[in-house]
Amino acid sequence: MEKATEKWASKVNQLIIGATQKEGGTRNSVIKVGGATTLPFLHFEGVIPNSPVIAMEVWDMEPPDWPAVLKEPFGDVLGDPVEWAKKCVNEYGADFLCLRLASTHPDTKNNSPEEAATTVKKVLEVVSVPLMIIGCNQAEKDTEVIPAVSEAARGENCLVGIAVEANYKTITAACQSDGHSIIAESPIDINLAKQLNILISDMSFPPEKIIMHPATGALGYGLEYTYSIMERSRLAALQGDKMMSMPMVNFVGQEVWRAKEAKASEQEVPEWGPIASRGPLWEVTTAVSYLQAGADILVMCHPKAIDSVKKVIEELMKKE
Amino acid sequence: MALTGLEIYKHLPKTNCKKCGFPTCLAFAMALAGKKTSLDKCPDITEEAKLALESASQPPMATVTMGVGENQVEVGGETVLFRHEKTFYHPCAIGITLSDSLEKEKIIERIEKVNKLKFERVGMFLQVNLIAISNESNNPDKFCDAVKSATEKSNLPLILISNNPQALEAGLKICSERKPLIYSAKEDNREAMVDLAKKYSCPLVIYGKNLEELDSLSQKVVASGVKDVVLDPGTRSLGGSVQDFTQLRRLALKRGYRPFGYPVITFVNGSDPYQEVSMAATFVAKYANIVVLDRIEPEEILPLVTLRQNIYTDPQKPIMVEPKLYEVGTPNENSPLLVTTNFSLTFFTVQPEIEASKVPSYLLIVEAEGLSVLTAWAAEKFTPEGIAEAMKKAEVEKKLSHKKIIIPGYVAVMKAKLEDESGWEVLVGPKEGSGIPKYLKGTWQ
Amino acid sequence: MEKCKIIFYPWKKEVTVPSGTDLLTAAIRAGVNIYNSCGGEGVCGRCKVIVRKGEVITEPTGRLSAKEKKKGYVLACRTTCKGRMEIEVPPESRLEGLEILTEEAKAKRLVGLYTPAEEVEKGPEVALERVFTHGPLSTKLYLEPSPPTLEDNVGDLERVYREIRKGREIPIMQMGLANIKKLSKLLRDSSWKVTATLGNRNETTEVVLIEPGDTTNKNYGVAVDVGTTTIVAYLVNLRERQVLGAKACYNPQVDFGEDVISRIIFAQEKDRLEKLHHVVIDAINNLILGMVMEHNLTLNDINGVACAGNTTMIHLLLRVPPEYLRKEPYVSTAGFMPVIRAAEVGIKINPRGLLCCIPGVSSYVGGDITAGVLASGLDDLSTPGLFIDLGTNGEVVLGNKDWLVCCSTSAGPCFEGGGIKWGIRAMKGAIQRVEINPSKDKVNLCTIGKGKPKGICGAGLVDCVAELMKSGRLNRAGKLISESSKRIREGEDGWEFLLVESKKSLVDQDIVITETDIKNLIHSKGAIYSGTEVLLKRVGLSFQDLEQVFVAGGLGTALDVEKAIMIGLLPDLPPEKFTFIGNSAIAGTRMCLLSHEAMRKAEKIAGKMTYVDLSTEPEFMNNYTASLFLPHTDINLFPSVKKLIG
Ligand code: SF4
Ligand code: FES
Repeated sequence: MEKATEKWASKVNQLIIGATQKEGGTRNSVIKVGGATTLPFLHFEGVIPNSPVIAMEVWDMEPPDWPAVLKEPFGDVLGDPVEWAKKCVNEYGADFLCLRLASTHPDTKNNSPEEAATTVKKVLEVVSVPLMIIGCNQAEKDTEVIPAVSEAARGENCLVGIAVEANYKTITAACQSDGHSIIAESPIDINLAKQLNILISDMSFPPEKIIMHPATGALGYGLEYTYSIMERSRLAALQGDKMMSMPMVNFVGQEVWRAKEAKASEQEVPEWGPIASRGPLWEVTTAVSYLQAGADILVMCHPKAIDSVKKVIEELMKKE
Repeated sequence: MALTGLEIYKHLPKTNCKKCGFPTCLAFAMALAGKKTSLDKCPDITEEAKLALESASQPPMATVTMGVGENQVEVGGETVLFRHEKTFYHPCAIGITLSDSLEKEKIIERIEKVNKLKFERVGMFLQVNLIAISNESNNPDKFCDAVKSATEKSNLPLILISNNPQALEAGLKICSERKPLIYSAKEDNREAMVDLAKKYSCPLVIYGKNLEELDSLSQKVVASGVKDVVLDPGTRSLGGSVQDFTQLRRLALKRGYRPFGYPVITFVNGSDPYQEVSMAATFVAKYANIVVLDRIEPEEILPLVTLRQNIYTDPQKPIMVEPKLYEVGTPNENSPLLVTTNFSLTFFTVQPEIEASKVPSYLLIVEAEGLSVLTAWAAEKFTPEGIAEAMKKAEVEKKLSHKKIIIPGYVAVMKAKLEDESGWEVLVGPKEGSGIPKYLKGTWQ
Repeated sequence: MEKCKIIFYPWKKEVTVPSGTDLLTAAIRAGVNIYNSCGGEGVCGRCKVIVRKGEVITEPTGRLSAKEKKKGYVLACRTTCKGRMEIEVPPESRLEGLEILTEEAKAKRLVGLYTPAEEVEKGPEVALERVFTHGPLSTKLYLEPSPPTLEDNVGDLERVYREIRKGREIPIMQMGLANIKKLSKLLRDSSWKVTATLGNRNETTEVVLIEPGDTTNKNYGVAVDVGTTTIVAYLVNLRERQVLGAKACYNPQVDFGEDVISRIIFAQEKDRLEKLHHVVIDAINNLILGMVMEHNLTLNDINGVACAGNTTMIHLLLRVPPEYLRKEPYVSTAGFMPVIRAAEVGIKINPRGLLCCIPGVSSYVGGDITAGVLASGLDDLSTPGLFIDLGTNGEVVLGNKDWLVCCSTSAGPCFEGGGIKWGIRAMKGAIQRVEINPSKDKVNLCTIGKGKPKGICGAGLVDCVAELMKSGRLNRAGKLISESSKRIREGEDGWEFLLVESKKSLVDQDIVITETDIKNLIHSKGAIYSGTEVLLKRVGLSFQDLEQVFVAGGLGTALDVEKAIMIGLLPDLPPEKFTFIGNSAIAGTRMCLLSHEAMRKAEKIAGKMTYVDLSTEPEFMNNYTASLFLPHTDINLFPSVKKLIG
């Protein structure tokens, strides 16, 4: 019996997030993602130079819909992005943060681009890990906010988003001029994903600085669609499709903590077990599934879940 | 290797006689290639062609059945490495361990807890499938007691785990008619295990501590006449196992390597629930056909059975969204009400357009078998009657102070009929999603 | 009841209707054909008319621009009349070519309510004119049977049969009782000199008619292509195998819905099947009558009609309820309709003349496609080839002499000008060539008939989009790049590209291409391309395996292959592999009319063609979204375009 090894024509792009002083930024460390020459964790047929990473979510306002189980680990820092970021790094050992500028959404506080930029600056000052910065996921408002925050983080080589078909031009231009990488998101469709990558690259933005977000579905809420799109994207990358070779991100926390399984109280669904571990387990299972589909960056919320998934990644990176 | 429609066609009589129930030989060939019919439906096929086609259509991975009756479990029979290539056919079975060294009451307690691991999710019934009784006591009598309790208290198929053929035989005597899975044939007890499997005609697990050992054992066991075989390649690190399972699946499917053309079983136990669930989840995704774990808390099992359901959903079925009333933004009783079908692409085009319009709205999604507006309308699956019924079900009249509903421009013709059916005023919206913002901001107001 | 009189300009057609009637209905009554794509629902905005005089009640609509409203434009279907009024139908709303009506045509118009026939080109003779043995649907034989004697005392009928069978292999023959009753007297009155008209009726040969004397030089037939939008008819001399004339008109069923599905639904209600049936028969009768008169023939000289059409059209033509065509599992009443007497459905030719319909394959692939394949010769190739019909249904057939598979891609009406702001059929005044000079930001146009443009046809649209791409004015997602040209501006329907300034157009308005038009074209071309991909994959072939590609349809002859490849409509193959065959349905129908052998061949084609339902093909959706890009999401499928756009 001879091992079944595939010969892949190409590999996933490698990308660095964060810039140290030497590279013109102020980070103490950088994050490297991508670069694999094979499918997830198949060490026998290729190199996987970088293990998948987890970015911990920090909001610029108190999340209105988080259940108590998720709020509890953060206690009183929830309304304060600076303290929150510090807590993630110092207490929970986060080496990568995702700053979500939710307060800029017209339906929440409708904060101005300038306010958002100030927040970004402050967070960059107090922590020295690399940063992912995302707007409020409202395409139109993001076109105002992202240029401002991108500028505020100039030189830090952040991962900035989220660019969608409706606003990619503005966001690409901002990332381009401030030296950031970009997150390109499309609604669970591999062709739309590729088309957006092409449109962004056609603006002479370097394809190696794009991260794809194939729209994450939580476990039980369309996970399988995203899962298959990611498997197909990864196969396309390895087969040499340059417009599909981008590393992939999943916003696991954001989706999971909206799911009934993570939020419903024990009174409501006694047969589902205690809420304290139910939510984190839902987040872990979702994250672990996406690891197998080819996720390079997982954006997560619950410290316990993050901790567990880190261990899983460690195990998966073992060759034997 | 699977043949294409044309390759199969070449072997058929090419008379288009329609006896097979298909309009042409090529249609029959294409259905055969898609495994949607069987060769014996064509009465005129030659022996030669039959031979050529049958060998090509032999499945690369055997399907193994455990248990009988309605709790019977089938695993294996997979034909692809990735679900998007076709689909995964037989959902990975999830088993729970039961040690015979527990006290009798504890055993019963555990079985009853396992029996309760049933969940209903979006109309699907999810549950664990197997009880794996292990002879940890090393005492055949205790093993028999545990088997007896399990057969009495539960209808789930069993896995009988022991290194001792006597203990296994004693257990088999009790439950062989329920077709348990025998665990396992190893290098040193192979013959005894093969005899048991044959005598009681039950499926047998072959255990090899690595792929090489598994390979040679599998060849020997199969040569001695056991057909229903499950493979256990032993345990190693999570990363190591994923790689081994991938090898097994690839060798079976892509290389047609017969010794590995069987379902795979694995046992997980982690240092804490998170690790154990993570391992099990990983194996549900990457290539185990049976996963057995120790944990039995509902919060640990629910995510696993949900994941299994997700991964084993047929991706070729049209992607649908749940038919119901959706809120886009925070609509109030004066907000517009739009209606469309439950085809996900339609939904994902319409919903963001409404969002972009910044007019908070209600979006009523009507069951139309996942077809787009025009197709559904053409096939009479998106009808005024259906919409009126969905409106009632969603109690739109309680949510809105007006009585106006916006239909897609493509089905303008149903305006009058829907007005009769529902008693609401029907407004004709734009044909394309892209026209929605303008419509909501302009015409609607 | 109060009445009101309406005059429609420019034809000055008058009609009196009860007040409160909507203008669209009134127009139809008056025999004025106005675009009404949505069937009078006030949605499509195609039925614009100008109120010159009189009072109207009109519903508010977003389909008219402020400018138009000021000029007195209203939507005919949303406007009701009051008292006496004068209405002008502007050129863009006329469902007609602008041909000046001849006296003769006017006369014919009085016969039926519907559109007069326009002269059409006989069409390009199909490149591969297939040679079939001459054996028309109806044959005339001059007979001089010897009179009976005491020895030779077989009956008159057997005597005629015996004479016919001399030197001919005709196993089954029959004659109707009506003819038999007259037979003995007729034979004797004409001193045993008669002409027999033989009809091929399924497997039997019928002696359709016995006439005194020799009339063999008067044997004509008509081939008809009943399209969803257009009906085309050829007058054929069956003896000489010659096409004498060709005429076309709009399918008047258009008034009751633009696509087949709307018509099926329309037909489901009481008396409406009748109506659809009658209008199409009327139209065919008009076409036939027109040609017969022009060639100084009589209706009696027409002995057979062969028809091709999609399955719905044939059902409606024969007045067979089409209801189940659109319901799962989508089956037709019959794919192979028997040969019947034309008079049975009201077609006015020789009362004993026959009507045969070219057999179809499935509910969504009809006899027009069978005929097209027959004409193209796809079923004779030894290596696989492709047949693409660029029409509303966008049927694609793949195969060779051993096997055929087909599908219907529902491409939509944009190749025929439907769903396009300034879209029109390939008629006089239609823009069909576009060239953009990028440095001067200038547009060069070429219209059919060389006059001032009044709209753009399918071929022109393809040209235009390819040129916009090539000149860097359109990105690959089909969005206009506003910085790239002064001609790009925000119009009332969003971004648009100015093709013709109002002063240079026949309609006194700017003719533009909107982003929505481009999107519609992308959807249509995507459907055809991805449908083809799925067919290929279904049998395990690739584009590279194709030896020949036949492109049929109304815009076929005027289509620039390279531009069609550029936008991803046709696969990127060497141009010499493509053959344009124009209206192949009528060509194939004519063959069947002239040759029994061709008809048998058509039956064989229909019988062996395997229909693939794209809606049940899981890959179709994915391929389809991949093709909704210019030319395609995967540019590597279009190497020649990749080179061009870098
Ligand atoms: S029964 Fe056999 S010969 Fe007849 S059509 Fe079917 S496959 Fe062809
Ligand atoms: S608007 Fe369509 S017919 Fe009047």
